[in-house]
Amino acid sequence: MRKARVVLSLAVLILFSVVSSSIAETPGRIISLAPNLTEILFEMGLGSRIVGVTQFCDYPAEAKKKPKVGGMSNPSPEAVVTLKPDLVLMTTDGNPKEFGERFRKLGVKTYLFRAQRLSELPHEIRKLGMALDAKREADALAGRIENTLKKLRDRKIAKPQKVLFIVWPEPLIVAGPDTAIDDSIKLFGHTNIAAGTGISYPKYSLEEIIRQSPDAIFIGMGHAEIKEISQGLLRKLGNVPAVRNHRVFFLSDNLYRLGPRIIKGIQEMAECLK
Amino acid sequence: MSKVKISILVLSCLCIFFFSLFLTPSVMNPFTLNTLDRDILVSIRLPRLLVAALMGIALGASGAVLQGLLKNPLADPYILGISSGASLSAAMGLVSGIYLFGQFSIPFTAFAGAAVASLMVGAFGWKGGRLLPERLLLAGVGMSFLFYAALMLLISISTHEGMRRAVLWIFGDLSMADWSLIPWGVLFIVAGLGISLSRARALNALMLGDELAHSLGFSVHRERLLLFTSIALMTSASVSLGGTIGFIGLLMPHIVRFMLGSDNRILIPVSALCGGAFLCIADTVGKSVLSPVEIPSGIVTAIIGSPYFLYLLRKKDVLGQ
Repeated sequence: MRKARVVLSLAVLILFSVVSSSIAETPGRIISLAPNLTEILFEMGLGSRIVGVTQFCDYPAEAKKKPKVGGMSNPSPEAVVTLKPDLVLMTTDGNPKEFGERFRKLGVKTYLFRAQRLSELPHEIRKLGMALDAKREADALAGRIENTLKKLRDRKIAKPQKVLFIVWPEPLIVAGPDTAIDDSIKLFGHTNIAAGTGISYPKYSLEEIIRQSPDAIFIGMGHAEIKEISQGLLRKLGNVPAVRNHRVFFLSDNLYRLGPRIIKGIQEMAECLK
Repeated sequence: MSKVKISILVLSCLCIFFFSLFLTPSVMNPFTLNTLDRDILVSIRLPRLLVAALMGIALGASGAVLQGLLKNPLADPYILGISSGASLSAAMGLVSGIYLFGQFSIPFTAFAGAAVASLMVGAFGWKGGRLLPERLLLAGVGMSFLFYAALMLLISISTHEGMRRAVLWIFGDLSMADWSLIPWGVLFIVAGLGISLSRARALNALMLGDELAHSLGFSVHRERLLLFTSIALMTSASVSLGGTIGFIGLLMPHIVRFMLGSDNRILIPVSALCGGAFLCIADTVGKSVLSPVEIPSGIVTAIIGSPYFLYLLRKKDVLGQ
């Protein structure tokens, strides 16, 4: 009987410590180490809790006013610690792993956002919401993304097209498999001609584009003068159906960040492929 | 040098040219070309092969001249800071967003940077009306470090997403080779090659020492200036055609010296020819191995070139001459 009481009290103690550690206080000072995470936080209405961002976090406009802690691959540990964050948000898609270890050693808590593909985004946003004690906001955002994706997926396309997404024209870097861009192309049943390369962002052969003769070419706006930089490439591809039929589209940077804006990017892409 | 050796060399160069043109990355029958094949051949493979050949020729020849001029077996045309100057200038052009020359912007800014870097290195190597080889070498190394550091600074503070990718271009990329740049490349490279070939005898004399060269009737400082100009012309043109391709400038002259001796009248043209052929091979390998994914030629030249260079290094008779 006595033994049972001891076991019971131990169990209660363990349960209590687990519960209390999981209901840690709401992180009020957050540092975001990736532009897509910054956008997700603002979209969830948590902008006021952000105390630091990277130099690449330029959307929405308020993000630019937040203190900077360096780049995605080289944030300054000193700048991070100085801002006394309750939580540092990192992503598997661009932040080096060593920094997580480094921050933990410095006594800074980190959270790792693991979404790299379109399908993983809603689930990862919900998980993030739990960690930030913002479950309702995260659920709403994730639900919005899921609904839009579902609507887009159900849309009937007249004819599947062969598509190429150019990330940078010189040297020619395109979006290959295992990328959110590839997911977006496939969402409507179209084919990404660079899907078989096995590399996410391969340096692609010009000759192969001519052979594959894509029906539509997208060029991402990674640089303000991308149109000028692409001229030479498009002239060489003059006989490809996409270029001949004026189906070369310059897309905004919406598709580049796995965050709330990617939905807009996919809609833009869908409009072009109509 | 025997006529047989030269004929074998020229013949193998022609074979390489034919092989790269028709057989990779996919086979084309030159006698039954359809429109698609002809399009690919004329607008992609041929200009690319010509650019590879031109760059290889320029690097091979300027490497041979530079090693003689500096009397240093480890001199590489890039050691003079010409390539890092070109890289820095192209990167600055991209960051400033000035696109005055449309698609020529990057090659043009690269060439301007290479030319300015050559003039600066030349000015530092110049003292009392003479071009001093040791000063030239050290000035080149110093300038390289400076340009390279400035380039890294630009990359690390830039938030341009395109910037990082654009800098890839600098590290050797032939995939964008285009007919429009070839005439300019030919102009500068042929001019440089012409000067260096016509000064080959003088270079032979210079390698024996200044006094001996002087007594043989050569104006030492004038010859040195001409040879330096030829290197600057060829290297600048090659960097602006397709970025920095390592090893050819360093490796080719040694292989040729090993086969044919160090008479510059033979060394310079044969190094040029072998350099051109080697870059064609490297580019062919780079675009075929993982097709349709391409490996930048600069990486392939170094991967093939380095082990061979190390092998040569073990044979002390190559460097000990």
